[in-house]
Amino acid sequence: MTSEPANTPTQRAVENLAWKLRRRQIVGSRATALETLLVLRQVISKSRFSSMEQLVTIIRAVGRRLVEAQPKEHSVGNTVRKVLHHIREEYHTATKGTAIESSSGFSISKFVLLGQPRKQSAPAKAESKGTLKENDPDDPDSFARSLKPVLMEAIQDVLDELETVYDNVSKSAPNHIHSDEIILTLGMSKTVEHFLISAAHNRNYTVMVLETAPSYGGRDMAKTLAAAGISTFLVPDSSLFGLMSRVNKVILGAHAILANGGMFAITGSLLAATAAHEHCTPVVVCAGQFKLTPLWNLYHEYGALDFSDPSQVLGFEEGSLVDKVDVVNPFYDYVQPNLIDAFITNDGDHPPTSIYRLIKETYDDEDNEL
Amino acid sequence: MAATTTSTNETPAASSSQPSASSSQPNATSSQPSQKSMSKAERRELQEKQRAAKLAQKQQPQTGDTPNKPKAKPKTDSAQRRGSGAAEKTQSSGVDASAMDIETATNKSRSLRIFSHFGLTKHGHGVKGDIHPCIIRLALQFSEFRICGANARCIATLTAFKTVIQDYTTPPNNTLSRHLMTHLSPQITHLVSARPMSVTMGNAIRQLKLEISGSDIDMPEQDAKDLLCQKIDDYIRDRIIIADEVIQDLACKKIKDGDVILTYARSSVVEKVLLSAYKEGKRFSVIAIDSRPLLEGKALLQALTSAPPVSWTLSRDSLLPPPPPIPCTYALLPALPSLITEATTVILGAHSLHSNGAVFSRAGTALVAMMAKQHSVPVLVCCETYKFSEGVMLDGFGKNELAPSHLFQTSAQTPNLEILNPLYDLTPPSSITAVVTEVGLIPPSSISSIPMALGRITL
Amino acid sequence: MDICATYERKLQDEQISPPLAAILSLSELCATSNAGTMFELVKALNEGADSLRRNSSNPISLNAGCELFIAFVTLFPHDSVPSASFSELKMELVKQGETYVRQALTYRSKIAELGVDFIKDDSVILTHSYSRVVMETLMLAHQRSKRISVFVTEARPRGLGVKTAEALTAVGIPCTVILDSAVAYAMEKVDFVLVGSEAVVESGGLINAIGSLNIAIIAKAANKPFYALAESYKFHRLFPLSQYDLPSHNPRILSFPTPIEKDRTAEKTLSSASPNFRSASGALSSTTQEEIAKNNPDVDYTRPDLISLVFSDVGSLTPSGVSQYLVGMFH
Repeated sequence: MTSEPANTPTQRAVENLAWKLRRRQIVGSRATALETLLVLRQVISKSRFSSMEQLVTIIRAVGRRLVEAQPKEHSVGNTVRKVLHHIREEYHTATKGTAIESSSGFSISKFVLLGQPRKQSAPAKAESKGTLKENDPDDPDSFARSLKPVLMEAIQDVLDELETVYDNVSKSAPNHIHSDEIILTLGMSKTVEHFLISAAHNRNYTVMVLETAPSYGGRDMAKTLAAAGISTFLVPDSSLFGLMSRVNKVILGAHAILANGGMFAITGSLLAATAAHEHCTPVVVCAGQFKLTPLWNLYHEYGALDFSDPSQVLGFEEGSLVDKVDVVNPFYDYVQPNLIDAFITNDGDHPPTSIYRLIKETYDDEDNEL
Repeated sequence: MAATTTSTNETPAASSSQPSASSSQPNATSSQPSQKSMSKAERRELQEKQRAAKLAQKQQPQTGDTPNKPKAKPKTDSAQRRGSGAAEKTQSSGVDASAMDIETATNKSRSLRIFSHFGLTKHGHGVKGDIHPCIIRLALQFSEFRICGANARCIATLTAFKTVIQDYTTPPNNTLSRHLMTHLSPQITHLVSARPMSVTMGNAIRQLKLEISGSDIDMPEQDAKDLLCQKIDDYIRDRIIIADEVIQDLACKKIKDGDVILTYARSSVVEKVLLSAYKEGKRFSVIAIDSRPLLEGKALLQALTSAPPVSWTLSRDSLLPPPPPIPCTYALLPALPSLITEATTVILGAHSLHSNGAVFSRAGTALVAMMAKQHSVPVLVCCETYKFSEGVMLDGFGKNELAPSHLFQTSAQTPNLEILNPLYDLTPPSSITAVVTEVGLIPPSSISSIPMALGRITL
Repeated sequence: MDICATYERKLQDEQISPPLAAILSLSELCATSNAGTMFELVKALNEGADSLRRNSSNPISLNAGCELFIAFVTLFPHDSVPSASFSELKMELVKQGETYVRQALTYRSKIAELGVDFIKDDSVILTHSYSRVVMETLMLAHQRSKRISVFVTEARPRGLGVKTAEALTAVGIPCTVILDSAVAYAMEKVDFVLVGSEAVVESGGLINAIGSLNIAIIAKAANKPFYALAESYKFHRLFPLSQYDLPSHNPRILSFPTPIEKDRTAEKTLSSASPNFRSASGALSSTTQEEIAKNNPDVDYTRPDLISLVFSDVGSLTPSGVSQYLVGMFH
């Protein structure tokens, strides 16, 4: 453990969040992303740096600390990567014209890299605010002073995006849910919940919610949807195959969207997606773009994922059984890209094959390993 | 909760929902007195009391007060059940009635007709005449899922019929071969009102009918009854007990040392197969997958983990310790994809088997077979030939049964929210490797070519 | 200058693969060419590439190299070397070519780094024939003390699988050579398939030693991941629609012998072979390995839907990612 004394408020904030993450006091991708962002904002506004490199190093160190605290919560790393990307972008805009273009000619390897997906370079947003002086020996703070306001703006942009994520995902709901359709969903996903409720404003349709044992998040989901006036059926997981022949669309939430277009999602998602595939029913995933994760599912099985409490599956009331039987309760499923038809994100709808490009556009390659 | 208050409370509620029920329920055309729906609802209300005794008394008077019930047929019947479930929770009849009003109102607006046939109970030809006490008890056990499973229900039914037959006397100016069936029909109807008939029961009863109509008119009555009981015993022995033993032998041969057998819920045959493989000294492990509403897998685990310890055995002059118990892993259905990769063979049970090779079985079985097929794990379905059912089944949705909500409901009622617990699903033949029957391992597509499968052999 | 001889010479180096040899040969052609304008130079390069192609039995992978170099030359900004004469520009191109090849030699270890993450401890890997980049990845996994075991196909007719097996066994990786016809039998035991490639094409598919398609289809049927390793200089602007749309296809491949011809060859063997030899191998004498190989393809095309991932030095790409990449590169 790095035993840096948590003396400054900033460090304390970082440690505090790391601690909460490790204790799982903050759960849910969006909540963690928001918290991470707030801590990063504090770090940037409080820390002293005199060059771009220093700033990136500081942020990376914080990011690494938080990711190590809870490596399964991918949105932490994603947020850090996104902030780094924005910082670089702002920096490039700010230094345009002053910094010497580092392109030292054209080579074959550069030519090959032309294929790399990149966002079309955005037009410079504002006039460069004075010249940035990096590593100015006379006034080491001048760099930070001149850059910080733009950085804060950039972070505010990310924050706004996070705060409006549900609304933006729900925007296209009427395009995907039509009258008298039967939609199947499972688990408790805030994104899916908002999506379905927003569709209910325009459409009259029915939702089937799988209970999603052993967490039974589906029960809460069903109650929320029913309370919003949607006709809802709560069904046990076992009825999935039988009902699938009557279902028009399967809508799932995601924990993390991976670079190959697959995703991590609550257990039961893979079963539902496979059954849907078998019945040629479309599978649609609703998720904010902060869930885009520059990761590959390295091992195609659950060993790499998370486990939760076995007592949810076989409680201690079954005393005589508990000590004789192994109980398995995986928390996430890995759903292969070929089982998913579309991702509905806060920035448009995408097929699984585009995820790779989106990730390349959203993050910088050098940040994949923080 | 007093029996009288609930029943009086129920009647206006039922009648208030009449118009919508009858309009939204084209299926409920027949207007036989549905005493059974009433008695069923009541029976559930009265669970805490001594049901059997009460019901036995009520059987007769109830036939009298049925006239206004038939319109409140199946759909309202299920609404009543839900309502009664809520009543049990809230303990307040007012809330109950209003909840039901909302229920029926939403039912009407929702018009999800495709689910309307769910929860439909089969209706026979009015319950008249005496219901034998043992049938009443059996019906209760069925409706409360205390006797559950195709084989168990079939054996229990046949055993109860033996008692009924023994207690039966042919009325004067009638013959046993003509009259006994008219005596049995209401008994069967009563059983069906408790829970829809299983295919196994249907097949067995069809056989029994054949035997009754074929019985010798000149035989003394007692001899004829004894002969019928003997035939019933033979049927149970040949088609179920011995069939299971053969299936055990066949399936055991497919279990090898080091195998990981995955199974779903609990099938009596599968349980026997696993236990007999264990007794043969095979070292394998079991993954039991389970799901609500019935969570039958726990019973299987109980049976497997409490397998009688095989004692020290003498083999070539050396004393061998008893083998360790069967290593078992337990998980719920959503965890299936994570565990299927470890399985070497999937062994499943069946409720019935159709001539296109589709297996009608506990809800969730189709998912297990589907995942197994995806991971190229062989799927064996253990099924006695008497479970074959003529006709093709394409979809597990059309014909199904709902678990009674009062037994398996977990949350309180909310408007717009309905809870469905289908009990069965249909596994397409494409995801089944082989069906293990007492006539051997056969691919599901060849089922219709087995003559015995159609139950056409004599008892 | 004899470009084909240069090409052959470059290929002598164990590390140099056909596309790189093609790039080196073309850049040497640049140096010796007396072209005075860009147009003439490109024309000369195209002619050189043509003669390379003509002289090779399997032009696909060298073609990828030629294509890359020529596209680079045409896009090369004239003003990047300040105040340059055309001959200086040519020298610059030669330098670029040589620099690139030097860089490209590090790509295999880059790919191995990417691929090794996907190799889990205790995994069983199926590979096909012999591929330098696959070897490097497997060796790296071994160095990182991952316990792996490898099935390698014999890969007839060239039988390069044996070479793979020998090299792997030498460093202590358990390895078994399996018959090409035993792939389906072995697939159940395999965790994933790892193959190299001759070229990666615009559809996102893969061109590799004959038999790769079989393996990919079987892997798909058994739900096993199929990974391909490809250096970025193997990205090829080609869109094969079917096996017979490959440049390597010719009418001889899979042709049926005419019955008369067959009789003649049979007669010939009858007259020439000693009676002893005849009785030993009988009519089979005409169907030797070489004889069979002559009418058979060297490479096949694996469709993108059969491929899980392609690892290259520019990152791990899905087949559609490869396709997007190629589109970005050449359009």
